[in-house]
Amino acid sequence: MKDGDSEQKGMSRRSLLKGAAAVGAMAGLGGLALNLAAPGTAEAITKKLPQKWDETWDVVVIGSGFAGLAAAAEAAGGGAKTVILEKMPIYGGNSIINGGGYAAWDEELHLRQKKNLGNDSVKQHIDDTLKGGDFFNMPALVEVMAKEAPDALNWMINEGGAQLSDVLVIGGGHTAYRAHFSAHNSGKDYTDALKKIAEKRGVKMALNSQVTWIWRKDADPKSPVLGVEVKRGAKVLNIKAKKALILASGGFSQDVEMRLAEWPKLVKEFNCTNQKGATGEMIRFSKAVGADTLHMNFIQLFPFAEPEAGILDRPAVYGFSGPGVGVIYVSKTGKRFVNELDRRDVCAFAQIALGPNMKPAYTIFTDAIPPKFGGKPAEIEAGMKKGRFIKGETIAELAKKIGAPADVLEKTIKDHNRYIAEGKDPEFNKPMKKTMIPMDKGPYYALPMWPAVHHTMGGLRINTNSQVVDVFGAVIPHLYAAGEVAGGVHGSNRLGCNATTECVVFGRIAGKNGAKEKA
Amino acid sequence: MAGLFFNVLIICVFLVSLSPAASAAPQKTNLSKPQSCTGCHGEFSSVLPAKHPRVAGKDISACTSCHAPDPQNKATAKPYSSKLHLSHMQPDAKLDCLACHTWKPGKAFGVKGAKKPLGTLPAEGMDQIRQIFASWASSKYLDAHHGKKNVTCSGCHDRKLPESGDTVASDRCLACHGDIEKLAKKTEPKDFPDRNPHKSHLGTIDCVVCHKTHQPSKAYCLDCHKNFNMKIRFGEGGPGAKNASGAAK
Ligand SMILES: Cc1cc2nc3c(=O)[nH]c(=O)nc-3n(C[C@H](O)[C@H](O)[C@H](O)COP(=O)(O)OP(=O)(O)OC[C@H]3O[C@@H](n4cnc5c(N)ncnc54)[C@H](O)[C@@H]3O)c2cc1C
Repeated sequence: MKDGDSEQKGMSRRSLLKGAAAVGAMAGLGGLALNLAAPGTAEAITKKLPQKWDETWDVVVIGSGFAGLAAAAEAAGGGAKTVILEKMPIYGGNSIINGGGYAAWDEELHLRQKKNLGNDSVKQHIDDTLKGGDFFNMPALVEVMAKEAPDALNWMINEGGAQLSDVLVIGGGHTAYRAHFSAHNSGKDYTDALKKIAEKRGVKMALNSQVTWIWRKDADPKSPVLGVEVKRGAKVLNIKAKKALILASGGFSQDVEMRLAEWPKLVKEFNCTNQKGATGEMIRFSKAVGADTLHMNFIQLFPFAEPEAGILDRPAVYGFSGPGVGVIYVSKTGKRFVNELDRRDVCAFAQIALGPNMKPAYTIFTDAIPPKFGGKPAEIEAGMKKGRFIKGETIAELAKKIGAPADVLEKTIKDHNRYIAEGKDPEFNKPMKKTMIPMDKGPYYALPMWPAVHHTMGGLRINTNSQVVDVFGAVIPHLYAAGEVAGGVHGSNRLGCNATTECVVFGRIAGKNGAKEKA
Repeated sequence: MAGLFFNVLIICVFLVSLSPAASAAPQKTNLSKPQSCTGCHGEFSSVLPAKHPRVAGKDISACTSCHAPDPQNKATAKPYSSKLHLSHMQPDAKLDCLACHTWKPGKAFGVKGAKKPLGTLPAEGMDQIRQIFASWASSKYLDAHHGKKNVTCSGCHDRKLPESGDTVASDRCLACHGDIEKLAKKTEPKDFPDRNPHKSHLGTIDCVVCHKTHQPSKAYCLDCHKNFNMKIRFGEGGPGAKNASGAAK
């Protein structure tokens, strides 16, 4: 990494105390409890602004997932000397283990039109997203996400070399075929593409670099953030961000303490699909310098996670991608328990409501179904060996293997086949689709699943420029946030595949705007 | 970058071999006495080749007056060996660095009898050296494994003392341990070929993400895939994973 200068100009040795006291006082007025004065806390009040900086960059980006990479690429594209700081020893965050789903109502390949899969529009994407989030979403942010979705995807394809799989999926809560999947059904296809663009534009990335504080002199609305404190091994350094500090540090699903503080139901026993570094310290530090948050208690469970370790592996995507083409979910009773095309929160809590001894539940399908959403026979073959898929030549055989009564499962499948034919689901009112395939020919498969903590919809409050807003509604100068660390796009419940989109779209916005700031 | 902690040149650079006769078992160590060579070995002749001229003196300056330590590794004639570290740093040797080295905290660090110091070294640096050398000589981890094969600090790190938090670039590992593709072939599980730690869905990751050197190694995969049956050598509690691949050629 490039050596930074040791600029000392204008850095008075003023303590944060003054600023923190000001935040405390103002927060008092605003009715919020930003109790920075508590002695002995991590947000130690005695922290002094650094006297000198170990490194200086125009734009400093925290986090190396979709949002951070997109932000850094665009910042560098705008001429800013840009660094990404990533605390983990590998790059990519949750993004690199993501399932490769990207929601867009169109793109330059026009897959939907070519496949004759009906209509879609910006408006429809916006409406679905708002409805899926129970209208808690900030409409202006949703609009930006939906509008920019195709362009951001085209950018990754054209400049980053990302490749798409030749399928289009309708996921729970979406009313159109807009879920695109990358060639390998992996977020890595996109992170690699974004990294390629970023590197081409001169972005540097430093791994093993954990941000441990955000420097801001005080909470005056004109007071910009100055930089960050970083822990690298046992070494602590201060890094200055001349133009912008962009937070792209992801969600906090692995932060049990923060989870419990927001939603006590999400005890540590819940599995989690996220990488270990998905913790909320950057949100804490941001609050400590005055940032506002929203929707922090809206935390999503992924209904179809692998039940043992809680991971979201390739088979776990079947549960998500399958309902539009006819998979069903059943419990050990052999009965369905939910409208499979319903939202994630509904599907997850329908399982939890079955009771703890009903773990796992199952996604049921036949050979004819997976090819319709990009599932491959080889995957199923491999997954069977690992015990991820269970196979029965007949329904009865499958029922026996999963401990369900054969006659009940047979009836469930027969009934569902009829609902497809009749276009009506009297049991759960699922909007039946012509694309759904009846299960009338073996072998039959069961895929065990159970909910795991997956996504945090809430986070830092941003405006449509991706700028972080303080508790009084004023922009915090030079501070940006994008991706899962920001809240407000998804409301109470994120629709599948909207996260990738949100991250790339807002990452780009943050990067472009950050580069334009005055140093 | 400002504020470098240590700029001492690494002391364990290849000053080559002193002598084959090192089998001469040392006599008792007594820490209360000032540590010297002759305190354990009695006479220098007991550890020197037969033809070596007689050596007078008690400590290492007896050697370094003729055999200069050569941290640049440019020596042509008779350089002094850092390999000496290995046997002398074993726990039962109970030797401190300063038996052979000179050091003023924050200032020069050198070898007794050598004209030029190796560099400067602050107190934290000395603590680190003591710790790491002890680990390198006798831990259950990858450092001691390298130690046994006489791969010293600079075999992995540069000639400068590594700073805390520095890592080793994979190229350095692969220079001895070979082509990553070949390594991957060796660790491909027969039952589930896609559960190959050297060829995973994360793509190419740094060797040191899993293979720690001065602490237990751990397969990063297990952070998420808690139920995988995956072993790594030199993990918690020692070598393990007998047939793990990757031994240097
Ligand atoms: C298994 C899985 C599959 C998913 N599949 C899909 C999908 O198919 N489609 C979809 O739309 N969404 C999916 N999601 C959700 C989506 O992937 C995430 O919301 C998205 O990746 C978040 O991207 P990000 O850039 O905001 O954060 P991340 O990609 O999580 O990156 C944030 C990075 O910041 C780092 N960081 C955090 N704190 C600090 C700090 N203090 N200092 C330095 N670095 C720090 C983290 O280590 C991390 O690397 C999936 C999520 C998971 C977990």
